[in-house]
Amino acid sequence: MRRLKVFVALLLALSMLAAACGDDEDSSSGGDDGGSDTSDDSGDSGDSGDSGDSGDSGDSGGAEIATDFGVDAENKIIYVGINGDLTGPFASLVAEIVAAQEVYWEVFNGNGGYQGWTVEPVVLDSSYQTDIGIQNYETLAQESEDGVLMITENTGSPITAAIAEQAAEDNVLVIPLSWASLWPDPAFGSAILEKQTTYCVEAMNGVEWLYEKVQSEGLDPALAIIGRPGEYGEDGSVGAALAAEALGIPVVYDGTGAVAGDDRTAIISELVSSGATMVWVTLTPGELLDIFGNSVTQGLRAYWSGSSPSFNYLVHMPSDFAAEFSEYYFQSQYQAPWATPGIPGMEDIIAAMVEARPELNISDVFTTGWIEGIMAETLIRTAIDQGDLTRANMVAISQDPSFSVDFKGLSADQSWPQDYNEAVVRSSWIYDVDVSKFNLIPLADYTPENPGSTGLIPIEQDYIGSVAENFVFDGPCIETSG
Amino acid sequence: MINAFLQLAQVGTGATLVQTLLKSFALGSVYVLIALGFVIIFKATQVLNFAAGALSMAGAMFMTILISDGGLPLLPFGNPLAPAEGETASVVLFFVNVLIALALAALLGLVIERLAIRPMVGQPLFAMAVITLGIEIAIRPFNLDATALEGRRLGVPWGASSWNWGDAVVPKSYIVAVIIAAIAGAGVLLFFRTKLGVAMRAVAFDQEAAMAQGINVGRVFAIAWAMGTALAALGAIVYGMAPFPPGGSVSQEIHPLLALRVLPVIVLGGLDSVAGAIYGGLIIATAEVFAGQYLSQWNSTLGSGYSTIVPYLVMLFMLLVKPYGLFGTPEIRRV
Repeated sequence: MRRLKVFVALLLALSMLAAACGDDEDSSSGGDDGGSDTSDDSGDSGDSGDSGDSGDSGDSGGAEIATDFGVDAENKIIYVGINGDLTGPFASLVAEIVAAQEVYWEVFNGNGGYQGWTVEPVVLDSSYQTDIGIQNYETLAQESEDGVLMITENTGSPITAAIAEQAAEDNVLVIPLSWASLWPDPAFGSAILEKQTTYCVEAMNGVEWLYEKVQSEGLDPALAIIGRPGEYGEDGSVGAALAAEALGIPVVYDGTGAVAGDDRTAIISELVSSGATMVWVTLTPGELLDIFGNSVTQGLRAYWSGSSPSFNYLVHMPSDFAAEFSEYYFQSQYQAPWATPGIPGMEDIIAAMVEARPELNISDVFTTGWIEGIMAETLIRTAIDQGDLTRANMVAISQDPSFSVDFKGLSADQSWPQDYNEAVVRSSWIYDVDVSKFNLIPLADYTPENPGSTGLIPIEQDYIGSVAENFVFDGPCIETSG
Repeated sequence: MINAFLQLAQVGTGATLVQTLLKSFALGSVYVLIALGFVIIFKATQVLNFAAGALSMAGAMFMTILISDGGLPLLPFGNPLAPAEGETASVVLFFVNVLIALALAALLGLVIERLAIRPMVGQPLFAMAVITLGIEIAIRPFNLDATALEGRRLGVPWGASSWNWGDAVVPKSYIVAVIIAAIAGAGVLLFFRTKLGVAMRAVAFDQEAAMAQGINVGRVFAIAWAMGTALAALGAIVYGMAPFPPGGSVSQEIHPLLALRVLPVIVLGGLDSVAGAIYGGLIIATAEVFAGQYLSQWNSTLGSGYSTIVPYLVMLFMLLVKPYGLFGTPEIRRV
């Protein structure tokens, strides 16, 4: 019996050690990166994006600021929450997004914050499981000193849909790491502050771009659509179908919602025999790898693209289908990838990440975390200027039609009108996939001459197709399944 | 049923049929390898190894460390048999590294048996099964950390290349999978004819009687765990070859769930039967792949992902008509 106890204790200790090793990032690290001037620049985004309140910032410097939850007024610390998928299907991307946002706050804090206020992120892992995500939300949203002012990242459409109503009730503003077309709808996501375009519009642009590509090569356009069940997959599929209808492209296979379970033989079989010359997918990286790889192996020759993050260079570039991805796949995205030249915001990211996280590899999705930081900082600056750091005021600012954010070229600047058709961002980016340029280096090895590459090269920046440009939205492309 | 076959004949071309058959055999080969791992451990110890998923993935991770990183797992030395950076190993070198990875997986199995299973001898089997579940949970973070949140190359020399047999496209990895499973299956069957294999069968039949005959039961346990872990690792390595879903790498998303898919195989074949693992693996994979291929036109009626359910339907049917599986040993109890 004693041996059993010793063994159980040993096993427990090993598990704890392993868990500790797997999550060694300090979720509330203070900034000591005062040497970087990045925060000064990013801080400017608040000024440029502000509706005019920034002019009052000096006035409120010594004034009393209203607070409720997630703000330590005595020490002038603002707590923000991150409910991220750090161990689930999107972990490879989300971990880097979270790291970038943490660095954003480290730089912000290292430069003295704003009027002495600093920001500390509280990071929780949802594993992309809705039940855990809801529990995390409840932890972050609690109305006590342990709660947060706002959630600056919430991974995934299902979890965001599950908490949207409660967040509106709680007045907890949430920036989703999801691009579902539900979020710009004030009736549904009044506390959800979406960023960039939607899966639906992204698909419209992507399909139109593929259509032009196929036509330019003298092929007959024939579209196959594959989407996983749920908001993410259905939204992309609806956008693709709308574009096909508008452009008169025949849909030869519609596998919306067909991706379930581990065996995709049926989908691959139907896709290969469909005669598709263009394929739009809204999948996880693993699903795409299986379906793309087997379809190409079985002889399908078509151009592919899909909602981000169907393609993930961390998964697909090391695979044995990297060459085929280079030939047939075009990545759709919302923003500038790593080391895109001539973009001021990218220079900020590079300077900060190289200094703060030299042990990490270069990443395209640092941009996402940085953009979340810019949005949250702009909101916080505005709230401080207004002398009101309450949760309700954060929601109120986000609903102010004149509130806007300048992403410094990283993505299309954005404002949030309360009319759906006006609020939807219409532009997206298209990248070429080129495995020959894939050179994933540690940030420590970065030099301007050798910046490294994820193998994704922008070929269209802020692309707006005719379908997306002219489409009149009377609401989201999908209804919530939650 | 007749209609279904008629439909099959109408839908499938000869090439499709060949491809489907080959995919069935290839997936069946993966199932066979992992099922053999389950069976060997169960035969010797009567324990269903719930750690098979994490152990198999750990074995595949060893392979990526050996061949992609040019290192040795948990050791600060380089792997002298690794290909030069940026180059792919030759076929011979690749298989030498596979053997090293399997040896390391076997070593992991030995360590686990010595630390976690041996002290539990004589304790209720349920407790031992729960211990294996604990091992699965303890090893999983190692796998996820070691993948460094990304797909890791297995460095398969032939990559995703295929042969063309007439109109049929035949991935090389599928043929390799079948050959590997055939060798492993034959090896296991031969093993049970050796002195040690007979000892294992004796232990499986009656542990106390085996001990009374001078058989070192602890040694049998250790060998069973080493073999079982190595076979599961081999299954995970083979499953990593393109065009299996991980596409030439070890996948955080796909590999951890592989062993779960083998449960219907061992229930169908019988938990303690080597022949059952082989037949069960091939039958389940054939049912799964053929259903996916030839019933796909009724996807909207059957529901998406229906082919994933097929193995469990076969398993359920088997449990109803033959609770101990096709080749399992019926347990007779006096009531």
